[in-house]
Amino acid sequence: MADAPRLSHTTAMILQAVAAGHIYGYTVMDRTGLPSGTVYPALRRLEQDRLIQSKWEPPSAATALRPPRKYYRLTRVGETALAASRKRYPLLASLTPAGDVRDS
Amino acid sequence: MKRKSLAHAVLRAASLLAPAARRAGWLKEWRSELWYINPDAAARFSLGAFRDALWVRRNQPRRHLESPLSCLAFLAGAASIALLLSICLPAPELPEPAGRLRALDLPFGTFMLSLLFLAGMWAAMRPARYRPRHGRARRAIFLMLKLLLIQPVLLASFLIMLLTGPMPIVPQLLIFGTWGFGLRWILLDQQRRCPVCLRLLTEPVRIGSASETFLEWYGAESACSRGHGLLQAPEISATYAGSRQWLALDASWRDLFPEAAERQ
Repeated sequence: MADAPRLSHTTAMILQAVAAGHIYGYTVMDRTGLPSGTVYPALRRLEQDRLIQSKWEPPSAATALRPPRKYYRLTRVGETALAASRKRYPLLASLTPAGDVRDS
Repeated sequence: MKRKSLAHAVLRAASLLAPAARRAGWLKEWRSELWYINPDAAARFSLGAFRDALWVRRNQPRRHLESPLSCLAFLAGAASIALLLSICLPAPELPEPAGRLRALDLPFGTFMLSLLFLAGMWAAMRPARYRPRHGRARRAIFLMLKLLLIQPVLLASFLIMLLTGPMPIVPQLLIFGTWGFGLRWILLDQQRRCPVCLRLLTEPVRIGSASETFLEWYGAESACSRGHGLLQAPEISATYAGSRQWLALDASWRDLFPEAAERQ
């Protein structure tokens, strides 16, 4: 198996937040406490490295009343990288407890 | 509401930092996120857009001279430097009977020779059958502008060659070689561009193999990043695929091209 990429603590926090179910940019910000200028470029970088993938919400009755949102999901590579990061930063899981605001 | 409109103005300003091709999609994403933000936090949230737009600009895939404007800007820059160089360089002395050159002899001669070379190469290179009727004037103007902008570069190279003195090989051959190289680049560049938007075609892929020559054509296929069509260039000339062919795609294909989809 290829070595998992080494992530910085901030990037690992964001990846953990996505894995915990905070799948929108703003909810990641809310959960991690990081500013938008950090979270959105980090999400793009993670997507470029294929650790996460993004999709737009499909049109539905709900999106007729509000703008559709872009949401993120971990890829298999991302899961591997996160598992390696959890070993490196043991407190990571407690920083972003699993999703209580998951809305899809 | 006022706080959100301020945030929208900030987003619009930040979007100017994002590359033009991705601006609409980038703005859509940020506006969509802003809708869900508490108005008290909207202004602070929108400030992060500057950093994100800069990130997108820095990390966009680089395709040099892709757009026709960037190609002309590059040639204009090269022409300016070459003109400056030509003005600074002393007039070359030529052996009799040519004698000392007059001011307009070189530019005129360069241009006439360029036209001659261009005509010869145009006939020699396999013509591409991808000339849709609309945009013909634009393509011709683009070609002429490139041809005009490369003249100072050719002139400067001509002067430098003359001033470097006696050369081990016949100087005319070097001069003609330089001309040929420059003008060949102009023609090849023209052939590698989308006939509709004049952007360089991207993502070339090889299709088929030599062993399948009798079953189907084989060669390379490039696509316009805006989804205008595909250029099919066969590896060898055959009766059914003698020259390059342009396969125009209608608007229904645009969703397959991210750049085109973002512009919609």
